[in-house]
Amino acid sequence: MIGVLVAIGVPVLAALASIGRLTRFAIRALTRMAQPPWYPAQVAQQMLSIGWLSLPVVGLTAIFTGSALAQQIFIGGSRFNAASTVPAVTVIGVVRELGPVLGGLMVAGRVASAMAAELGTMRVTEQIDALVTLRTDPFRWLVGPRILAAVLVMPFLVLVSNALGVMGGWLLATQRLGFNSAQYLATTARYLEWDDVISSLVKAAVFGFFIALMGCYHGYHSGGGAAGVGKATTNAVVSSFILILLSNLIITVIVFGS
Amino acid sequence: MTSAPTPRIELAGVTKRFGSRQVLAGIDLAVAPGESLVIIGGSGTGKSVMLKCILGLIPIDAGSIRVDGQEVAGLKGAALDAHRTRIGMLFQGGALFDSLPVWRNISFALPGSAAERKAAAIDNLARVGLGPEVADLKPAELSGGMQKRVALARAIAARPPIIFFDEPTAGLDPITAAVINNLIRTLVTDLKITALTITHDMASVRHIADRVAMLHGGKIIWQGPLASLDGCDNAHVRQFITGSAEGPIQMPGARA
Repeated sequence: MIGVLVAIGVPVLAALASIGRLTRFAIRALTRMAQPPWYPAQVAQQMLSIGWLSLPVVGLTAIFTGSALAQQIFIGGSRFNAASTVPAVTVIGVVRELGPVLGGLMVAGRVASAMAAELGTMRVTEQIDALVTLRTDPFRWLVGPRILAAVLVMPFLVLVSNALGVMGGWLLATQRLGFNSAQYLATTARYLEWDDVISSLVKAAVFGFFIALMGCYHGYHSGGGAAGVGKATTNAVVSSFILILLSNLIITVIVFGS
Repeated sequence: MTSAPTPRIELAGVTKRFGSRQVLAGIDLAVAPGESLVIIGGSGTGKSVMLKCILGLIPIDAGSIRVDGQEVAGLKGAALDAHRTRIGMLFQGGALFDSLPVWRNISFALPGSAAERKAAAIDNLARVGLGPEVADLKPAELSGGMQKRVALARAIAARPPIIFFDEPTAGLDPITAAVINNLIRTLVTDLKITALTITHDMASVRHIADRVAMLHGGKIIWQGPLASLDGCDNAHVRQFITGSAEGPIQMPGARA
């Protein structure tokens, strides 16, 4: 009996401790971000790295997914004479869910891993200790700019992702499925609501926060040389994926559940 | 009768434990102003931990660390920053910021405009024997010896009265190591710096030290002037300076 309790209790306590450490890290990052000195050049550099350099992967993912979605809706809708719903369902599906979620996952794969690897390498090569000895707070110099840049840039990336996802559906529908271009676009515009766009942007900002937070957290606490950096990178990607999917579900239920 | 000057750095009964491992078990040590003290000891004996405790990077469990008479343990915020302005640090691997050019690494903590900071960086590069053409390079474009020199330039850039050198010649060929040793000795003498160096390299010890201390088992087991090192009858010190496999110091994990 005691063995069973230990087997359950140890991982539960470890998980609670991890959540506590992560929460403390996040609070520390947010409070330090609010205090000077600020480093706008660092923020701009991170915005370029996270936003501009993620555009190709986010854009391609959106186009391919939007096209595939339109094809599947057409096939499924044809079974009960609802093939004409392709533009409406595509735009709702892309803007509400696929644009932000797939965009977030793609950025997480690219950015959270890069942040964890960079900060992890800085940790094991004592660059973070060097920052401290040079009277520079790593939370203000390294963590804060990355979180701020990710929160600012992700909504723009998701806007692009949404637009390209809808365009992918339009391309496939008009070139392969025989839809009229003007009618497709008119239907798309009619079914797209402001709530969809705003919820998409809110999701994007939340995802950006979690991506940068997990990348920085795992990198900052990396240890054990190259293997430790590799583990931090993997943990950053996996945990940011989970937080993106979980927070997406929560926001969707809150915004659209009623 | 004149009283002895206040030690620039003074450790008394400093202990530090990581989990079940007692790394520092009561360190008592004093470094006088302008003195160059070298601490020797095997790998994993806590030499780097001791430096990081003095810098306030690692909190101690018990004891006292005083720098210029001020207690370091418990310092926070601006007081801790003020403490750190008194100390420059040369890290074992250099710890140069990969993403910044050499001149920004050196002038990282310096005030002033970009042009003033770059000029100061070039001045400090000259002090360590490097030309201005190095200023715009990234650390990855430099050899190991050049990286150490740049890190040395960064450590002295703000002219701190105290500098810590963590394994300054680790990983360098003997000639480059000799150049680094010369530079450290010259800087310590010219800039009247109090230096605390940790190293395994006996050539560095003989070149840099005014005084030597040996850390073993979490304690300082011997200390004395450099001139008394070779005549020392402490078995641990004798084994260390002769590099003998036989003696009281056993490699961790070695069979008895």
